Amino acid sequence: MVSAATRSSYASLAGDPRRLYPGLDWDRDVVVLGIESTAHTFGVGVASTRPPYILANARSVYQPERGGIHPREAASHHARVAAEVIEQALAEAGVSMRDVDAVAVALGPGLGPALRVGATVARGLAAYYRKPLVPVNHALGHVEIGRLATSVGDPVVLYVSGGNTLVAAFARGRYRVFGETLDIALGNLLDTFAREVGIAPPYVVGGLHAVDRCAEEGRELLDLPYTVKGQDVSFSGLLTAALRAVRSGARLADVCLTLREIAYSAVVEVTERCLAHTRKREVVLVGGVAASPVLRRMVEEMAGYHEARAGWPPPPLAGDNGAMIAWVGLLNYLSGITVPVAESRVRQRWRLDDTPVPWRAGA
Amino acid sequence: MTRLSPGGRAPSFRGAESYLYEVAWLGVPALAKHRLPKSYRHPALDERLRRARTVAEARSMLLAAELGVPVPAVLYADPDEAVLVVERVEGVLLSDMIEAEGASRRVLEVVERLGYYVGLMHEGDLVHGDLTTSNVVVRNGRPYLIDFGLSERTRDELDKAVDVHLFLRSLESTHPEHVAELYEAFLAGYARARGREAAERVRRLVERIRVMGRYVEEARRVSTVWGHRG
Repeated sequence: MVSAATRSSYASLAGDPRRLYPGLDWDRDVVVLGIESTAHTFGVGVASTRPPYILANARSVYQPERGGIHPREAASHHARVAAEVIEQALAEAGVSMRDVDAVAVALGPGLGPALRVGATVARGLAAYYRKPLVPVNHALGHVEIGRLATSVGDPVVLYVSGGNTLVAAFARGRYRVFGETLDIALGNLLDTFAREVGIAPPYVVGGLHAVDRCAEEGRELLDLPYTVKGQDVSFSGLLTAALRAVRSGARLADVCLTLREIAYSAVVEVTERCLAHTRKREVVLVGGVAASPVLRRMVEEMAGYHEARAGWPPPPLAGDNGAMIAWVGLLNYLSGITVPVAESRVRQRWRLDDTPVPWRAGA
Repeated sequence: MTRLSPGGRAPSFRGAESYLYEVAWLGVPALAKHRLPKSYRHPALDERLRRARTVAEARSMLLAAELGVPVPAVLYADPDEAVLVVERVEGVLLSDMIEAEGASRRVLEVVERLGYYVGLMHEGDLVHGDLTTSNVVVRNGRPYLIDFGLSERTRDELDKAVDVHLFLRSLESTHPEHVAELYEAFLAGYARARGREAAERVRRLVERIRVMGRYVEEARRVSTVWGHRG
């Protein structure tokens, strides 16, 4: 199934690129198509130097019938829907491939087979239409679309999704990773637990994750492990202990409440340390788990305590999406970053702090 | 906490987790560390964490003292209020000392002694958890370890290597021009406490930490895909 968000979804794009990216030439007329295929989502976005900046954000999401994500099944889904999603994005943006100045693609981090589909499609488009190919780091996509959506200049970023959990802030030319998970990601913890105890799929209903929903009936906080090591979090022990608690007869709602409180508190605590350490005044929450109203409330409360502002992108731009790849593709292209097709390898473990951010180099 | 800070005076230092107040404790210059309640956390979890961390920090400091490591004396612990009162060690932060003197003979001696004391802690299966040059106060050439809020009991050599790695990382980020000399001095002291073999093992583990997980970029720097580096 292919679904495209309507353009009205971006009415809440608060940022002014001229203010957020003062070093780039916003008088140029540039349109970039971006392709996202790092995990479940095959997404295609179109970004422009002209308002409303994000012209399209089409996607198709692979949903495993049971169990977790299977990389090769995700890849075959992406290959199946690619053409349709690209056409939809172009139609939504009201442009043709001829109007596009460059093709951007998320080359990592992510699942190899899934990444390779997006890379192959992007290389094909770039070669056939003779457009420059622009490499994009997926995590940087989340960060920059978060800044654009919330109009935040220099935030501490909490990035939580099915495959990633990290806290980052800009320092000395890069987004430096302040803390991250030592094992599984926050979204993976929630999904795996929900699946194992039989309350998912579907994982998210009405914007609420199955674990959040189940936790609403929780009354008592159980004694499950809370692991923050230095600036890093660890969730695998929590997952094991939570599953064991359910098997030994604890109330499911209490386990859900405990799991969620511990997991969210841990990432918010690391974010708080980063905020105190860097003395920044803004926090941006991005990634699929940013949709959780409970997590948002916690982040907001913590930020308020440090007199910092908290924000998050609207749901179509919070989870994996093509628009963020198109957006960073645009920023990279304006900064002169392209890659020859022959050298455009995917990088499954491409780190955020190994990614140039030339438009903030002087920051 | 109002008991310790009459008149509701402002804390001397605000951390992410706690406020520090300079107080006099039975005539001794002291620091009162109050772990703040966090309204974003579930009240039961908040209480559990603040209590457990206050107790753990006091225990770790006592254990470090027993192992022969210079630490501020623990004067009072109140788990119910999440307050810990420790002796105030008047001295200079190691980070400031390196900033001012670089790798002077005096600094190298202090860092060697620090390595020795960290080695003693690790021999006793205690890791500091936040071993940076800002968590060492130097008084009369003697390095005192402070802030045991993240310390842990562990037998795992990898955890100990993580401690040493944290120290190395703090040298790199704040004193990049003297890393090699300071790190060697630290390891020399560390070997004095634990023996050459254990020190070499930890040095190798530190190297492994750097090429796995979050430090993977160091292993891959050679295979960069495109030329542009911002």
